[in-house]
Amino acid sequence: MFGKSSVKERKQFYREEWNLKDLPDFITDELPRREFGFDHYGRGPNDRYKVFKNPDFLRRFLKSKSPFAAYISIAYYRNPRSREDWQKAEYVFDVDAKDLPIRSCSCDEGEVCEECLGQSLEIVNNLIDTLDGDLGLKNIHLIYSGRGYHIRILDEDMMLADSDLRGEVLKYVAGATVPKSSYPNPDPSMAASNFNFQHFTLPIGYHKIFTDRVKYNIQHLKGNEKIDGINPKLLKDIIKFRHFLDEDAWGLFKGNIGPRRYNNIVNAMANVNLATIDAKVSIDIKRILRLPSSLHSKVSMKCVEVENRENFDPFKYAVPKFVHERKDEEVAVKK
Amino acid sequence: MVESSFLNPFCDEALNIVRNQADLSIVFDVDSRLVDIISFSPHQNLSDESYIPENIINLALKRIKWYIERKNNKEYNSHDYAYLFVEDISFYDVIVFHLTAQAIAYKFNFNSREMRLFVQSQGQIIEDRLGSLMLSEKRELTEDILGELMVSGTVEWTFLKDIISSKKLSLTDLLIDNGEVILDRDEFIYRFEDKFEDRSVSKMYDVLVGDNVKEEVLKNLIMQKTEEYIQNIQEKSHLIEPHPSILTLADEIEKTIDEEMTKYSTFYANVNSPGGYMEIGKLVKEAFPPCIKNTIEGVSSGGRNDAIVLFLTSFASYARLYPGIFANEGANIKVSDIDKNLDITEREILPLIFEAADNCTPPLFEDQPQEKINIISKLGFGMHSEVSLEHEGETKWYTPMSCEKVKIHLPQLCKKDKGCKGINNPLSYYTRAKWNLKKEGKLPDSNQSGNNSNSSGGD
Ligand code: SF4
Ligand SMILES: [Zn+2]
Repeated sequence: MFGKSSVKERKQFYREEWNLKDLPDFITDELPRREFGFDHYGRGPNDRYKVFKNPDFLRRFLKSKSPFAAYISIAYYRNPRSREDWQKAEYVFDVDAKDLPIRSCSCDEGEVCEECLGQSLEIVNNLIDTLDGDLGLKNIHLIYSGRGYHIRILDEDMMLADSDLRGEVLKYVAGATVPKSSYPNPDPSMAASNFNFQHFTLPIGYHKIFTDRVKYNIQHLKGNEKIDGINPKLLKDIIKFRHFLDEDAWGLFKGNIGPRRYNNIVNAMANVNLATIDAKVSIDIKRILRLPSSLHSKVSMKCVEVENRENFDPFKYAVPKFVHERKDEEVAVKK
Repeated sequence: MVESSFLNPFCDEALNIVRNQADLSIVFDVDSRLVDIISFSPHQNLSDESYIPENIINLALKRIKWYIERKNNKEYNSHDYAYLFVEDISFYDVIVFHLTAQAIAYKFNFNSREMRLFVQSQGQIIEDRLGSLMLSEKRELTEDILGELMVSGTVEWTFLKDIISSKKLSLTDLLIDNGEVILDRDEFIYRFEDKFEDRSVSKMYDVLVGDNVKEEVLKNLIMQKTEEYIQNIQEKSHLIEPHPSILTLADEIEKTIDEEMTKYSTFYANVNSPGGYMEIGKLVKEAFPPCIKNTIEGVSSGGRNDAIVLFLTSFASYARLYPGIFANEGANIKVSDIDKNLDITEREILPLIFEAADNCTPPLFEDQPQEKINIISKLGFGMHSEVSLEHEGETKWYTPMSCEKVKIHLPQLCKKDKGCKGINNPLSYYTRAKWNLKKEGKLPDSNQSGNNSNSSGGD
């Protein structure tokens, strides 16, 4: 995207552009209970265990140090300076455009572009719909991280959850488990004959979530992906018959693929769904995340809270001024 | 109508029974009313006096024995315990439940094998009792008890979070809408009426939710309450002196569980029996799955803690001591059940783990010496720097991570090979690979025979 920011640009950003008001309320609310970490030289966040009594101390620190990157803990501690007495932690979904297992753009490995960033936004929007509409979680914030998105959830129940519960909710929201298909017959006299339902025949609950995710994946396949459990021939056929899914004609799609191979797809897609999100982050209760309002110096973009998640455009809201002021040939194109 | 105390030892009626049973000295006396109930239970096996617990203490022990037999004995005969499933037993059953819970709370640690066994037995008893009722009775009773437990037409899924977190119920198997788990037919119809065009909504409810989910929720909530109850007693235990009868019962429970578990212990499963390749024996590195090999070669800074403390520790200890864990689910096992004097643990398991820790970059204990304690704790020996019998049970022996977990926590270690096909746990990879090596005669000598002289205990 816009390449690395120079030291001068960083200084300019923090002195002239960065403003206390850019810090979201959910960050400033209980600021002193969080741990901060900084990366001053672009070699990883080595300067950790920092604590700020109030936002103004943070402001002074940022303005004087202009760090390469700034991070804040998702955890609240009674004693953040030593990361002791953990109290609670945000629940996070991290979707990184460069790590999407299925991308419809033609980015090289490790790169991102407008298209895969847009795809990331669609994905996080779907996740939020589930977190909110299905699971009823409250207090959900979306952050553009510079190369992807963080969903940061401050729902009280989830903030107290252990890693196991976070993992279970993750699997549900991501669609990482193949939905149950066999149900015992409720008629006791027919107990031997189970009912079988394909995921796409049940338009409610988790089955629907899973079906939606799989459809999304299939529609974004390019044909050169390497996916465990899907061989090149199957991949080709999926693309050949995926037009059936435009009308949700799953039965026809499955019929053309064949039941055994369809089963392979379903299993593989559960894995793809899991890999779409950085699961390690979601189950971690002590991680630090990029600080909203700070500069992502590697790509010269701002990490910002997303106000309108339906049509957020990072190129409109997350490009620091100095990028526009660079000499023309330096302003990398939106590739 | 069936009283809810038949299934819910925490309902008002049950608590009343317990309150009125203040005199605990009588629990050793022959109780003729109890004997009557048992003798008149339909289908009860009365061929021998030993089938009839004649006092409350014996009933408590029978109840535990029942569970272990039910789980392990292939010739288990439900007629030996028919009285546990007649409603008339409720009164005694409630007393026995509370006495046992207290005995366990005083004598054993939280989450000890004894405690887990008791909690699971409560779940099983509920399941079997529900199964013994007529459909209409069952439905009515389930409704009533769910009501007592504050669950009716719907319940917020977060109310069930402990059950979900412990994976007793999977979130993906519940029908959740707007934060609420749908349990009730009317709720289901109201919310999803227009979703099923060519099928009857009501029928769909029966299949997707129906009695099953409700009963599962009920059972798990009571198991959870049982855990909380025990924890509560333990927290107050320094304030209240337990009645001597309870302490006696605790000793008897320990004896019963030990005897029964030895009877059904599968640590030394015969090589010829199915699953016999799960015998214990020296660790065979050649049979390790890729993820474990990668761990032993050393992990770099991201992920090295989990790789060593959680993943390798549980794998190595179970692979060495109890590879059959997944075939015997519910068998509650401590390291010392197999490794009686902890020799194997100290001489084989810990050295392997410590070596792998050393191979990490940077070496794990160099900057994080406290991880040694965490390793000890994952073996079930509390937060201490060495394994010792005295502290065993203070923490849980962490069960091996599944492949799914490895993929979430430590994706860099999972480098699948042929042997990974169709398995879902690195431990199963290991037992299978070991079996294959054995078939091909490639197993190192000490492992070639089924009865490894190095293994101690289990006798
Ligand atoms: S599939 Fe399982 S056993 Fe195989 S490498 Fe991955 S985690 Fe290990
Ligand atoms: Zn791209």
